[in-house]
Amino acid sequence: MRKLIFTLLLLVGVGFSGAYAQCNHEALLKDALTQMGDGQYIKDFIVDLKNEKNGGESGTVKYSVILNSRSQYKFNVVNGAGNSEKVHMQLYDGDKLLVSNKAQGKMYSAFGFVCRSTKVYSLVFSFPEGSEGCARAVLSLQRQFAAGEGGF
Amino acid sequence: MIRNLIFALLILTGAGFLSSCAGNSENKNAEQEDELALPDSLTGEAPLKLSEEIIGDVIQNISSPVEMANLIKSTGVDFSQQILNNPENISNYSTSFKRALNLGVFSAGLGYINSYDKSNIVVSYLLAVKNLADGIRVGQFFDFESLKRMASNSSNLDSLMQMSVSSFNQMDSYLRQQNRSNVSALVITGAWVEGLYIASSVIEKTNDEELINRLGEQKEIVDILYIILQNYEQNSSFKMLIDHLSELKTLYKEVKITKEVGEPKTIEQDGMLIIVQAEASHVEISPETLGTIIEKIKEIRADVVE
Repeated sequence: MRKLIFTLLLLVGVGFSGAYAQCNHEALLKDALTQMGDGQYIKDFIVDLKNEKNGGESGTVKYSVILNSRSQYKFNVVNGAGNSEKVHMQLYDGDKLLVSNKAQGKMYSAFGFVCRSTKVYSLVFSFPEGSEGCARAVLSLQRQFAAGEGGF
Repeated sequence: MIRNLIFALLILTGAGFLSSCAGNSENKNAEQEDELALPDSLTGEAPLKLSEEIIGDVIQNISSPVEMANLIKSTGVDFSQQILNNPENISNYSTSFKRALNLGVFSAGLGYINSYDKSNIVVSYLLAVKNLADGIRVGQFFDFESLKRMASNSSNLDSLMQMSVSSFNQMDSYLRQQNRSNVSALVITGAWVEGLYIASSVIEKTNDEELINRLGEQKEIVDILYIILQNYEQNSSFKMLIDHLSELKTLYKEVKITKEVGEPKTIEQDGMLIIVQAEASHVEISPETLGTIIEKIKEIRADVVE
């Protein structure tokens, strides 16, 4: 009986430590905020994609964000330590892809977006080839343009 | 001994039952007031037109206090505490409905205070936020002591704002997880109304073009907010808010937003790729329309904070 309890405790302990080692969202957010730079924090996004939820495919997670015209935003993302692949972050206007952190086969940790039309946009995260993983992204405001500035 | 104990218990249970029946009608109003503390599904207000997921998805950042406050400061107009709701008013907000709405109002106020670095008054606004959040059972997301410590040093105000906004985001996610998106919708509406109210007050003083544009662009947002609030129209308190937004929507029909499609541009800045959006929108709003919209915003805000 004692052995059984000990084994159970061990299994639970290992399970917990494994889960936390894979994804510590608090630490990821701290990193993402540091990498945000000089901008002003608007919102953060949790990415936690698991294979078992989608029958072997980790799928995507989508967030809606309202971005305002004449504003420059930065989207930066930090990957979980256990990720086998880096997270793919894409910004859409409806079904039209506006910007992605993947360029020339490389995954970047951030991209900037100068918004010229106030509306709801979609921020979509996924992992290449349906692999699973976690990440934390931050949306920050970098700059607001006045009339006549930056082509506005 | 046991018999006596059982007898006493039966009397107590009976008395409790009778008093709960007698108090039922008296408590009805209080229950109605507190029904926002319950999940939507238990209040008969389960969203019919939009699912929790869609509502949550849309309302996440409908009104960023940071963005509007920055824009207001850039006009060069002086800070005015008189524009803001008074933290002493929170004792008047006895219903969950009012508390949630004014939690949003004070969050927008915090953004405005922060953008002007007014560390001397920020604590009283934080306390108002904390009290209102406690009143709708989401106070756990506001670590008042840490926020207060940060507020005591004006160089920490940016971090303070980051922490406050993050707390609001966490609270919002929690409310939606708990199927209390009705409360979330109210907080967001309150913040949106207060942001527009502060902007309107500044427009009246400065006639600032940027702020007028931002006010005009809210045509897109008022439609979204209206759809979200309509999910809770069975609640008479929500009905008042929906009627207000319906009238505002009608006024916004006079605002013309045109889209111009160009080519997207890619620029590199400090090693980061930046995309300049191809589509651009232009707002046309006549002084008369602007005036009627501002008057309506003032009217809605007066009802929200009264």
